[in-house]
Amino acid sequence: MQALILFAVLCSTYLMVIAKRIPALIRSFRYQSFCLFFTTLIIALREYRLDLYIIAGLLFILKVSLIPHLLYRVMNRIKASEDLGLFINTQLSLLWALAFTYLAWIFAVHFIAPSNEIQAGMLAVAFFIVLAGIFLMIFRMTALAQIIGLLAMENGIFLLASTVSGGMPFFVEIAIFFDVFVSVLIMGFFVYRINKLFTHIDVNKLSRLKG
Amino acid sequence: MQIFLILTTPILLSVASLLIRKQRVCGIVNSLGYSAVLFASIILFKETILSESAFFYFGFIYLDTLSAFFIFVISVIAFAAALYSIDYIKKDVEMGVISEKKAKIYYVLFNLFCFSMLFVPAVNNLGMLWVAIEMTTLISAFLVGFYNNKESVEAAWKYIIICSVGIIFALLGTILFSYAFSLSASMKNLNWSDMVASAGKMDKNILKIAFIFILVGYGTKAGLAPMHTWLPDAHSQAVAPVSALLSGVLLKTAIYAILRFGIITIKSVGFAYFGNLMILLGIISLAISCGFILVQKDLKRLLAYHSIEHVGIISIGLGIGGILGIGGAMLHVFNHAVTKALMFFGAGNVVNKYRTHNMHIIRGVISTMPFTGFMLLMGAFALAGMPPFSIFISEIFIICAAFLKGYYLVTFLLLGFIAVIFGAVVNHFSKILFGNIPKGMPVIKEPLSGKLAFLFLFIQICAVGIILPLIKKDLVWIVQKLFQV
Repeated sequence: MQALILFAVLCSTYLMVIAKRIPALIRSFRYQSFCLFFTTLIIALREYRLDLYIIAGLLFILKVSLIPHLLYRVMNRIKASEDLGLFINTQLSLLWALAFTYLAWIFAVHFIAPSNEIQAGMLAVAFFIVLAGIFLMIFRMTALAQIIGLLAMENGIFLLASTVSGGMPFFVEIAIFFDVFVSVLIMGFFVYRINKLFTHIDVNKLSRLKG
Repeated sequence: MQIFLILTTPILLSVASLLIRKQRVCGIVNSLGYSAVLFASIILFKETILSESAFFYFGFIYLDTLSAFFIFVISVIAFAAALYSIDYIKKDVEMGVISEKKAKIYYVLFNLFCFSMLFVPAVNNLGMLWVAIEMTTLISAFLVGFYNNKESVEAAWKYIIICSVGIIFALLGTILFSYAFSLSASMKNLNWSDMVASAGKMDKNILKIAFIFILVGYGTKAGLAPMHTWLPDAHSQAVAPVSALLSGVLLKTAIYAILRFGIITIKSVGFAYFGNLMILLGIISLAISCGFILVQKDLKRLLAYHSIEHVGIISIGLGIGGILGIGGAMLHVFNHAVTKALMFFGAGNVVNKYRTHNMHIIRGVISTMPFTGFMLLMGAFALAGMPPFSIFISEIFIICAAFLKGYYLVTFLLLGFIAVIFGAVVNHFSKILFGNIPKGMPVIKEPLSGKLAFLFLFIQICAVGIILPLIKKDLVWIVQKLFQV
């Protein structure tokens, strides 16, 4: 069961990497978050732990519903083009993603020394998501894609935390959720401002400050 | 119990800023509040030095000499920035750059920012430490983009994105630390005090990787090259008092975080691993900042690159270790904070008058604004490391430590870069201060209220430089106390 969900997480991340337009990217981010929610819920059901129920609930409310909704709203309000602006086309991106997957696997198996196969898989997927997030932030030009890349990285970290140490202490987890939510709000606000001042959200063209 | 006063005052002040109608009153109340915070932090520092063990409150707040020292540094700069803000914000309102309402928002954000920074050294839980540092980024992003023009919004965006990514790596590192801890102690929490107690038993390989993530993550926030790219943009575009806070203490909170993880790493892996990494990053920072300082045209960016240089020196000091190295680095944390705040205040006044950051246009400051010009002159020499100012003392400590420990190449590079930067600083500032006054630039008299912040900082720059060599023994004792855990 866990392997299946892990596979779903992996697929949703691949979808994010090959997305060409902003709505597709947000949608795949939603799938990814939903898979994470599902894993957490299963563990909560199995171990009867109240704190995990709450974390799963928060995941659902924030990352599956609220944040994607906010991002859609930002996208609609600024009326910029829906194109993501790819530095690297989808085929090449996919190749990169495959390379990242392999790298993440090597890293997970050799450096962290996981105890069983499932844990090794989870570690590898977690590192892969982090790498894919960085990839999105660097090779997509719009400001919104950078926000989603950051959120994807955060998802990867969440998966990593629940793999290696059974999640972080409860109130730290809550604080991090709060933090992520606030940062998305603030970044969304800055995307508005960028759009208003520059009439585009192409971060590649933000080059007034140099040297 | 002083810590509660220190943490609640900024919160109360930010509420007060919402309620008080006039921004000028806001500013004065603010300064009074931070003078109380400063006073409390001095007492706290003294108490932690004299007490045998660290203070715990509710298992959540943990205070030893190291945290108290950083709280003290933050309070000093926060107080100075609050003092300086009164006049600076008043001028901005009078000139119509910002509205009265926006001035109040400034004070709210200023206080929240100070709160988040004061919170960083006080927490015990490393997860909360991460949250606190991320909060500093989020709040100060508004202060960087405060003037809402193209440059400042661009700077704020780069700042928030680069620092958030960096700090995600720090979270990754934190999780790996907690993993290593849970393997060794069959206990699951993130408390620093528990971790450090069982540091010897942790898995060395995991800690090595984890520390690299921490160094990349918090190093981004600390402005260590090559992760420094957000720093010149953010520092040059922020409101002047906030630039002082960013450069003076925000970078230091990240250094504090690196140190906390570093102590665990040292206890487990040994000093050489930690030391070599810190020295490497320090030298890279010095090299990169040296190049940019030489060719800089923008006054505030020049100061920003100086921050990278000094963070590099601090990092080298920590990497060399020993009482001289670490003592020098800690002193440098304080000295750099004080000096850089003074310089940013001066630069704020200059930019306000000349309406440009461009150093080719800013000329003859010492005749148009005699007081600010004089302070900038003294500050520039202090920043470059002239005796008898305080930075000279801490730099000489670090250089001595490097010599004594046999790091000859490091010493050679350090001295070389410092010499080049000294030349660059003297060159840049002599032109700014003594050049021909641009036409139509009136000579102004500065009010006393604007001078207080400068004098407060200047006294500390001189006093530390003169007194410190006389109290060597106490100094050694305090440094030992800092890292006795």
